[in-house]
Amino acid sequence: MKSSKNSTKPKALALASVAAVMVLAGCSGNAASQDKSTSGTLAANWGGFPESWAPGAEMEAGYMRVPYENLVALDGQGEITPMLATKWEQTDKALTLTLREGVTFHDGTPFDADAVKVNLESIRDGKTAYAGPLKVIESVDAVDAHTVRLNLSEPSPSLITQLSTRGAPMGSPKAIKAGTIAQTPVGTGPWAYDAKSSTKGTRMTFEYYDGYWGGADSVGFQTVELYAIPEDNAATGALATGEISLTDTETTQFSRIESNASLKHLSYPAIRNNPMFFDRGEGGAFEDVRVRQAACYALNTEEIAKLEPDFKVRSQHFSEGEPGYNPDVTGYTHDLAKAEALMAEAGNPEVEVEMIAAPFNEKQMQVYAEQLGKIGIKVSVQPAAPPQYFSQWNSGRYGLGLGSNDELTPYDWYQAWFAEEAPGNPAHVESAELKKAADAAIAAGASDEADALWQDVTKIISDEALTCAHVAGEELIAWNTKVVTDVKPSTQPWETNAIDYKALRPAGK
Amino acid sequence: MMGKLIAYRLALVLPQLALVSLLVFFLTYLVPGSPAAAILGAGATPESLAQVESDLGLDQPFAERLVDWFGAALTGDLGLSYSNSLPVSDLIAERLPATLSLVGGGLVFAGVFGILLGVLAALRPGPLDRAINGVTSLGLAIPEFWFGLILSLVFAVQLGWVPVVAYTPLVEDPAAWFTGMILPSVALGAPAAAMVARQTRGAMAKSLRAPYIDNLTAVGVPRTRVVVRYALKNAMIPVLASTGLTLRILIGASFVVETVFAVPGLGELLLHSVIGKDFPVVQGAVLVVAVLVIGVNLVLDVGYGLLDPKVRPQ
Repeated sequence: MKSSKNSTKPKALALASVAAVMVLAGCSGNAASQDKSTSGTLAANWGGFPESWAPGAEMEAGYMRVPYENLVALDGQGEITPMLATKWEQTDKALTLTLREGVTFHDGTPFDADAVKVNLESIRDGKTAYAGPLKVIESVDAVDAHTVRLNLSEPSPSLITQLSTRGAPMGSPKAIKAGTIAQTPVGTGPWAYDAKSSTKGTRMTFEYYDGYWGGADSVGFQTVELYAIPEDNAATGALATGEISLTDTETTQFSRIESNASLKHLSYPAIRNNPMFFDRGEGGAFEDVRVRQAACYALNTEEIAKLEPDFKVRSQHFSEGEPGYNPDVTGYTHDLAKAEALMAEAGNPEVEVEMIAAPFNEKQMQVYAEQLGKIGIKVSVQPAAPPQYFSQWNSGRYGLGLGSNDELTPYDWYQAWFAEEAPGNPAHVESAELKKAADAAIAAGASDEADALWQDVTKIISDEALTCAHVAGEELIAWNTKVVTDVKPSTQPWETNAIDYKALRPAGK
Repeated sequence: MMGKLIAYRLALVLPQLALVSLLVFFLTYLVPGSPAAAILGAGATPESLAQVESDLGLDQPFAERLVDWFGAALTGDLGLSYSNSLPVSDLIAERLPATLSLVGGGLVFAGVFGILLGVLAALRPGPLDRAINGVTSLGLAIPEFWFGLILSLVFAVQLGWVPVVAYTPLVEDPAAWFTGMILPSVALGAPAAAMVARQTRGAMAKSLRAPYIDNLTAVGVPRTRVVVRYALKNAMIPVLASTGLTLRILIGASFVVETVFAVPGLGELLLHSVIGKDFPVVQGAVLVVAVLVIGVNLVLDVGYGLLDPKVRPQ
C-alpha cells in the first residue's frame, strides 16, 4: 500500500523510502506480520482467556490444546487413537491404560501413572465442570510407572471417549498440587507457557518445548501466541493487518474476510441444540407423549434453522458414523395437521409453560413459542440475564428449555438428560422401555453388540419425543494466508475453536 | 477553611463506600441461582452442587456472609475468586492499570480538546463557533463503540499507524503503551470532549462579557493574558465542577471501548465475573470503581474549593 503511494514521487525519494522501510523492517517491531511469517509465530485469537487452566475447568479447545494433551484422541472417523496412552483395555470393572514412555511435563516432572492419578482425581473431586462423567471412576491404581488402572463403579464404555475431550487434559501434578496451574498451564504439549513474554489479559505466549516427546518435526510453529480479542470486527481488523494469524469469527464478518485476498475461512459443525421437554412428571404439561409428539410436529425446524446462517437441520443428536446414530430415526417433519390430530387425541389439554431465555438465544425461543402457539401450546418466554439463565434453565422451574447437547457418546447423552436421575431430567421420570433398553446397552459395555443396543436407545428417545427439532451450528475459523497455511479443524468432534495446531505451517515454508 | 472542607468531604467517604458495598453485596445475593451451578455446568448433581456451595460458604446465612465479607474488605482482603481461587485484589490489580490508562487518556483528550474547542468557539462567534457547535453535537451523538470501530478500521487496519490490539503495559514498553492508547482514548474521550467544549464555551462567553474583562483590556493588559489568566480561570470553575460527572461517564463507557480495542481492563473482568457468577470479583471490582469515583470527586471538591471560596464551609 505504501509503495504504490510512493510511486508518484521522485525516484530518489522512492529509493530512500525503500531503504528506510528495509531498515525499519529489519530492526523495528512495526513489521510484526513479516516477522511472524518468518520467525514461526502463530498468533491465534479465541475471544477470551479461560478463567482457570486447571484440568477439568471450562476451557475452549483453542486455548486448552496448546499446552495440554490428553491420554487419547479421536480421529476423523471417531475412532480412539493413542496420545499419551499408547494402549488400553476396558472391561466392565476397569479401564487399564499403558502410558507413553519418555514424556515429561513442561516443568520437567515425568508423565507417569501417578501423574494420571493426580489429574483424574483432581478433576473428579474438584470444583470442575467435567467432574460428572468421571464420577464412574471409583479409584485409580498406579500399577507400575507406565500402567494405570481406573476401577469403575459400573460399566462405562464411553469413559475412554471422555478422556479424549477438553474435560480431561493432563497437567503437571506438581502444578496441580501447588494450585498454580489455574493461572500457569503446565502440560505435556508441544508448546510451553512463557510468562515472561506474555502480557496479562492481552497475550499468552507459548514457546516450543524442547523436551516434547513428538519432536520438533511434529509441529510447524516455534511460538504460539494466544489472544483474547472479544469483538469480531476488531479481530477481523487484527487478522487483516497480520497482528493475529487466525481467529474464530462470525458470519457477519464474511464480507470483510472475503473481500481481502489474504484471508480465508472454514467452518465445521461444533454446536448442537434442541428443545427439552422438562415438565414430564405426573400432571406435568408434557407428561402425555402425544402432547410432546404434537409439539415436535408443530416445530418447524427448517424455519428455526434459518435463524442463524450456519444452522443445519438434523434428524437426531448423533451424526452418521458416530456411536448411537440410528438411520431409522428420521425426526419429526413439520406437519401441523398431524400435530393438531395428536393434540385432539390427547383431549386438547390446556398446555401453558414458561421458558427462560438469555439474550443469545431469546430469538430462537420466541420462534419456538410462536410455532407451538399454533397448536394451542402457550409458551411464555422469560428473558433473563446470562447468570440467571445458566443456573435456572434446566432447574425444573421451567417446563421447556433449549439444551446445548455436547455429549459425544450415547451413554453420556442418556446419563445427562434422560436417565431417571439425570441432571437434565428434573422431573426424574423415565419410561420402563427406555430404562430397559439403556440398562441392556450399559450392560453390554464395550462389546460388539453395544452400538446396536445404543441405537435402540436413540430410537426410543425419538419415539417418546423426549426431545426433537435438532439443529447444529458451525464454528467459523478465519486465517491470514500470508502467515499460516494447512489450517484445518481438529479431528476431535463437537469442540469450538478446535484447530489442528500440529498441522499448521508458517506460510512460505 | 480548606482543612474544614477536606475533613467534611473525608467524613462522607466511608459511609458512601459502605453503602455501595452493602448495595452490591445485597444485589449479588438477590440474583437467582447458585454460583455453584455456574461453576459445575449443566451436568451438576444435587450432591456436587451442595458440596461446592458448602466449600464456598454459600450455605451460610446472608448476615453472616455479609459480616465476614465486610470485615475482610475493611482489612483490604476482597476474598478469592470462585472460578480460579485467586485473590480478588490480585485480579483487580492486574486489570486496573489498563482501565486507568484508558480513562486517564479519555479524560486528557476530553480536557485538552474540549477546553480548546470551547475557548475557540467563545472567542470567535460566527462561522467558527457554528462549526464547533456542529462538531460537538456530533460528538455528543456518536456512540463510543461505533466511533471506536471506525477509528480502528481507518487508523489501525487501513493506514496501519497504530495497532489493532491496543494495550501494552506502560512498564513493558512506554512507547507502545502510548501509541496503543491513542485511538481508545479518542474513542472514549470524544463525547466527553464535546460536553466539556459546550460547558467551556458557555462559561467562557459569560466570563468574557464580565465588566472587569473590559477594565483589564482598557488598562492595557495583553489580550492573551486577559483570556488565559482571568477569563479562562473563572470559566474553569463550572467545568471543573462537572468533571466528576464526566469521569463517571468515562468509567462506564470505558467498559465498552475496552471491547473494541481488546484492552484487558476492569470492564472485561466484571463482565466475565457477572456471567460466571463470580460474586467476590463482582463485589471487589465495583468497590474499586466506587473508590475511584469517590476519590476523584473528593479531589475535585477540594480543587473546586481552592478555586471558588464561596463553596468552602463557613
